[in-house]
Amino acid sequence: MKRLLSVLIVLVVFAGFASAQNITVSGTVTDSNGETLPGVNILIEGTSTGAITNMEGFYTLETGPEATLVFSFIGMTTVKEPVNGRTVIDVTLSDDSHELEDIMVVAYGTTTKEAYTGAAEVVDNEIIENRPVTSFEKALQGTTAGLLVSSSSGQPGTSATVRIRGIGSLSAGSSPLYVIDGVPMANALTDINPNDIESITVLKDAAAASLYGSRAANGVIIITTKNGRAGETRISFNAQVGVASRISDGYSLMNSSEFYQHSWQGLYNTALLDGKTTAEAKIYAHENVESIVGFNPFGVDDPLDNDGILKPGTKVVTDTNWRDEVYKTGIIQNYNLNVSGGNDATKVYFSLGYFNDNGTTLSSDFTRYTTKVNVSHKVNSFITAGMNNHLAYSVTNAPPGGTQGANPVRSAEIINAASPVYNNDGSYNWENTAVFDFNPVGLAELDLYEYKGKRAMTNAYINFDILPSLKFRTTGAIDYGSDKGVNYYNPYHGNGAGVNGRSSMSNTENLAWNISNILTWTRTKNESNIEVLAGQEAHGESYSVLSAGVTDFSIAGYPDLSWGAKPETPGSYTSEWNMISYLSQVKYNYGGRYYLSGSLRGDGSSRFGKNNKYGLFYSLGASWRLTEESWMPQVKWLNNLKLRGSYGTSGNNNLGNYASLGLYGSGANYGGFPGLSPVQQENRDLSWEKISSLDIAIESRFFNRLDANVDYYIKESDGLLFSKPLSAGTGFGSILTNLGAMKNTGFEATVSYEAIKRTNFQYTVGFNISTNKNTILSLTTDKIVSGTKLIEEGESIYQFYMIEWAGVNPDNGKPMWFVNAESDDDESSDIPDSAYDDPLETGRKVTSDYTDAERVRLGTSLPDYFGGLTNNFAYKNFDLNFYFYFSVGGRVYNNDYASNMHDGTQPGTNLSTDALNAWTPDNRYTDVPRYVTNSTDQGGQLSSRYLEEASFLRLKNISLGYNLPENLYSKLKLQGLRVFVSGENMLTFSKFKGFDPEGALNGTTSNSIPGVKVVTMGLKLDL
Amino acid sequence: MKNMTLKYIKISLAAVVLFTITSCSNDYLNLDPSTSIPEEQVFSSFESANSALIGAYDQLSGYTFDGLFVPILSDIMGEDVMINSVDNWNWFVAVYQLNVLPNYVFAESPWWLGYKVIADANKIIDNAPAIPDATEEQKNQLLGGAKALRAYVMLKLVEMYAPAYSRNPEALSIMLVNKTLTANDESLPRAPLSAVYEQIEKDLISAINLLEDNDDKGFLDKRGAQAVLARAYLNTEQWEKARNMAVDAYTGLDLVSGTELLSGFNYRNSETIFTIAYTPEDNNTYLSIPSFYYPVSGYSSMRANNNFVDLFSTSDIRGYSFVLEPQIDPNRYLIVKFSHNQLVGNAERISIRASEMYLIEAECEANLNNYAEAQDALYTIQKRANPIARKSTSTGQALIDEILLERRKELFGEGFRWNDIKRTQGRFTREGDHWVKFDIGPEDEDYYRLTFPIPQSELDANSNISESDQNTGY
Repeated sequence: MKRLLSVLIVLVVFAGFASAQNITVSGTVTDSNGETLPGVNILIEGTSTGAITNMEGFYTLETGPEATLVFSFIGMTTVKEPVNGRTVIDVTLSDDSHELEDIMVVAYGTTTKEAYTGAAEVVDNEIIENRPVTSFEKALQGTTAGLLVSSSSGQPGTSATVRIRGIGSLSAGSSPLYVIDGVPMANALTDINPNDIESITVLKDAAAASLYGSRAANGVIIITTKNGRAGETRISFNAQVGVASRISDGYSLMNSSEFYQHSWQGLYNTALLDGKTTAEAKIYAHENVESIVGFNPFGVDDPLDNDGILKPGTKVVTDTNWRDEVYKTGIIQNYNLNVSGGNDATKVYFSLGYFNDNGTTLSSDFTRYTTKVNVSHKVNSFITAGMNNHLAYSVTNAPPGGTQGANPVRSAEIINAASPVYNNDGSYNWENTAVFDFNPVGLAELDLYEYKGKRAMTNAYINFDILPSLKFRTTGAIDYGSDKGVNYYNPYHGNGAGVNGRSSMSNTENLAWNISNILTWTRTKNESNIEVLAGQEAHGESYSVLSAGVTDFSIAGYPDLSWGAKPETPGSYTSEWNMISYLSQVKYNYGGRYYLSGSLRGDGSSRFGKNNKYGLFYSLGASWRLTEESWMPQVKWLNNLKLRGSYGTSGNNNLGNYASLGLYGSGANYGGFPGLSPVQQENRDLSWEKISSLDIAIESRFFNRLDANVDYYIKESDGLLFSKPLSAGTGFGSILTNLGAMKNTGFEATVSYEAIKRTNFQYTVGFNISTNKNTILSLTTDKIVSGTKLIEEGESIYQFYMIEWAGVNPDNGKPMWFVNAESDDDESSDIPDSAYDDPLETGRKVTSDYTDAERVRLGTSLPDYFGGLTNNFAYKNFDLNFYFYFSVGGRVYNNDYASNMHDGTQPGTNLSTDALNAWTPDNRYTDVPRYVTNSTDQGGQLSSRYLEEASFLRLKNISLGYNLPENLYSKLKLQGLRVFVSGENMLTFSKFKGFDPEGALNGTTSNSIPGVKVVTMGLKLDL
Repeated sequence: MKNMTLKYIKISLAAVVLFTITSCSNDYLNLDPSTSIPEEQVFSSFESANSALIGAYDQLSGYTFDGLFVPILSDIMGEDVMINSVDNWNWFVAVYQLNVLPNYVFAESPWWLGYKVIADANKIIDNAPAIPDATEEQKNQLLGGAKALRAYVMLKLVEMYAPAYSRNPEALSIMLVNKTLTANDESLPRAPLSAVYEQIEKDLISAINLLEDNDDKGFLDKRGAQAVLARAYLNTEQWEKARNMAVDAYTGLDLVSGTELLSGFNYRNSETIFTIAYTPEDNNTYLSIPSFYYPVSGYSSMRANNNFVDLFSTSDIRGYSFVLEPQIDPNRYLIVKFSHNQLVGNAERISIRASEMYLIEAECEANLNNYAEAQDALYTIQKRANPIARKSTSTGQALIDEILLERRKELFGEGFRWNDIKRTQGRFTREGDHWVKFDIGPEDEDYYRLTFPIPQSELDANSNISESDQNTGY
């Protein structure tokens, strides 16, 4: 309708042009803040005559009374004003960027929010910039509904786990596909400087993501990096320094006196159980306590009295807080310089970045250098060409994790406080009874775990505007990553002692290439608009590793392989995959009210089995903007109402490169002869996981202040890849099969309210919440028990399955578990002989014989719902933003806590102070079993004793900024100056016993470096 | 007109770019890995098929099977040696306490790796006859080698996971996997002991016929198959057959001298019948027998029981295997029988040697009431270690007991004690400086602890073995 009108106007203008007499028009052009704009270009439409505003924003020109004036200025929206006989025309130009916000970067192109038929959310750079995180996805936590972000380690330089709309796969990857500047990424996210990012689009449903076909199952995250803008060149410099510390103190550990006395008690109890008399038992405990603890931390030989209690006044010589030794205050530094500018033909953005996080744990740190150059150039009227380049170099020091002896985090928890860090002569003490010869402080100095990464991402494109309605874009991209790792164990202590030092080096190279050719055709006729996209894409990745190692070093501290006398077997391999795709999409819009979209993509992949080489994926989407309907009453309180729905399919191709083949692997050498051994069974039918998703949503805006969007989705995965456990008789533990089906359903709601909108004071509050229910629909095997989990139909993928803790028997201090004879863990429901009535009066049967209790289902590790609450205040030149992240529901099996509550099975290993509450005849009602050195009570076995609730609320980020007023910064010859302070993870509210309730999605802890809280100060200069 | 031409040029240019890259060959979507090969290729030539047999031995030598777990568990479950409770990273503590649960690595890993070897051997047995370029001799070598290996592993598995044959020959034992099982095949139930022993016997007799004697003792040859069969007959108390096989197995081998018994047991010698052939490149460093046994440079956490040490006469050279070194352990005897060869853990593990065959001969003869022959065989072993030993004059059970005691002295640490208790249904008594003591006989309920549980993972994955088929006691 509008178009028709403007055509009419133009016609009228042309018609009147010859006949009308000229008049003089004048006026002032201002921006939206009321400031006058000098240099605004004013043209009489259809001619080349016009004027330019002066320093005060004033203009004057002669024109016909029916002419139309076109006001344009770089960075501002162009305004057309019909003269209509007026002689004074004042015009306000608004910022162009406003319009840009509505343009969303989506799969293979852009769209506007109004026209989009899919579920996608845009996160702009304000959220990402200047956060003390190595990788941008960590900054996304809590910002977008449906996006679950969880960090399981505080190791600097690691990425977080990201899931869009639940976990779509049992064992194939569930990570989204990351696409940067239109090209799928193949290497680490941490190589990207978050400050180079312009915006991030999260594609959630089929209409949004299906165009990525066999890689779209887990959603897509599209990263758009910054580009130059025509106009004055802008130089800006960011500097930021932060102080990081452990996110919380965790549960407390015993000091040396407590541990010494407790160990005495354990020995005493053991002796009593062995049938010794009280007197004998005391002697036994006195004799052995020092060897169990490893050290006598006191100044005297006989520190304990007859009852194992520390004699008053005994001097404590050693009381090591191993956490204090292993953890330190980290410093984070982040500096960025970027330059952006250009003209109508050529636009350039380049940046330099330096990021350094020296870690909160000994020998863990991360340093990254990045550069970026984005250029686009208009060659002629129909060709535009450009390049996006990104280079990164990073150095990471990351000590080993998990249960390895050299894991400093684990050492800090389990070496008892009676063990000194240093001997009297100042040398490291390597003795301890938990991780003998692995003093974490000494190893941090002597060993090396260093990884150096180089990364080059480059893509070049050419756009041909063949016809005004027909465009063609061809893109070629390379993503190359090369990493070098060194693990060096010193010759004297720890891992290297037995072989007189060991150094292992590996070089990995990952090369991904991508070529795409996309043709788009658009046509507008009357009220309808159609856009057709057709294209082709080819993608390939090749990963290769070269590794070598040596042992037997003559000198310590030199990790290069040349120093070692004895070479170890070197290794190398290459792993590749390829994909060829054809894709097409049609978008149709009628009158700005009805929108339809459809997409189709075919993928052929080398990863799929012989019988399933090609997959076809499609989507359909529609939306309806009710508020644009003419019959809709125009009410003040309703500004926008849009209904939207989509359905489509996608695939998950993360099945490994050669998973369908029956293979014999090399390297099974024996006796000096080369050998081969079967490594994998053949599965010719192996195929991608098929995902279908349905999305229904309402988008609305009320009172011009309140935005509210609600989405409901059902995402069904079929043919889930799973390593089906096999009987040992096959010779394989499992085979990868398309085994099951799973469903994720959930609601997502986002509300944003512009509570205060005054010139000097704005306040916006936002809230988002997501629910997700994960249900396994079918499996070819009834039940799959894996570790702490049971996978079965009708339940969540991360359903805990273990024996149920019943507490401690007050009569003898033995652990008790509920028998749960009716559980289907064992077919029979016979009550075992060892069962007895729960003395704690639950009315249930318990047993103190671990093997007689049956496993039961104990909930899931996944949260029931999670989300964020954001608050943005702006007052004059100040701004204050803070947001909370919450995660409710979900449980964690706390392995770490379990190892500090061992009841005497690991007699030299440190204990939580909670263990002081162990059962004794005088402390009968407790949840901690009796402490018996080398206990066989099995109290530490896998059970719900260590299963905890993991809900938490966290003040994720709070930042306060101040923009210097113009009169101040212009005196400094600057274009702008901003100073800010911010705090990351400042407060956490949780009942969880460990350092951090946020962790691995499967809900188990593994002595990872705890998360960090960071306080940073920074400034941003615009030159 | 000119404009139109330009347009056409542009369109055709775009079309060319669009379609040049789309043509792709079949290879593009069919990639092969760089470090593994398809199964068909393995059995297309003798050389690669032979590599598969070597690969199967590599599995056997893994530390969770014959490289460490199987032999060390067998002694830790006995009365003669013990594992430290501290400074040991909790290795084997539950085994020492006779407290192994179905989900423990000590029950899980040997089962899984054992069956991996069996599966590897089955593939060779299934495919060897059809290898195009192999001579009859080469096919025999592959078939015989694979069968001997399969029987060797099955024998270890029944000893671990089933009660003694002498107690109940029809007791449920292990899965009898005698051909390749694929993922689509139904999983197998536990077969009765008798069926498994029948398979073991069949395989070994076949292997004895197919194989020649081989100089490389890293592989089971004819002599090796005979020795394994002697063990199987001993377990099933077929005394005559066991004796014959034992004698066949040692005939032609020279026992090492007494002093050589103290040379560290880390490399094959003249009396070796089969050894796990670790090389310096392939040694298991810390997860090796010497790492646990030798008093330094490793876990060094094995100790000898004082009562056991006291059994050695002062003139018995084997008594030098025990030392007291208060700086390392103030209370208990250290063991120097198994030492490192220059590098930590670099040691072959001698798995079968002629001395054992003499002792089998002795035991069989004693049970056959051929006391003189039994005393001779026993004396061969005794006098080598103790030049002033006197030939036994005992008969009957007393002689058998002497022979069993000699087995303890001669073979401790080599993986026999626990099965000896089981197969003879003897009393399990731990006394002296043991930190976990036992005194149980076959009539006691706790005797079940001498049999490992079927691993939880097998119960979970196998549709034909359920919790109710689990070994008694678990």
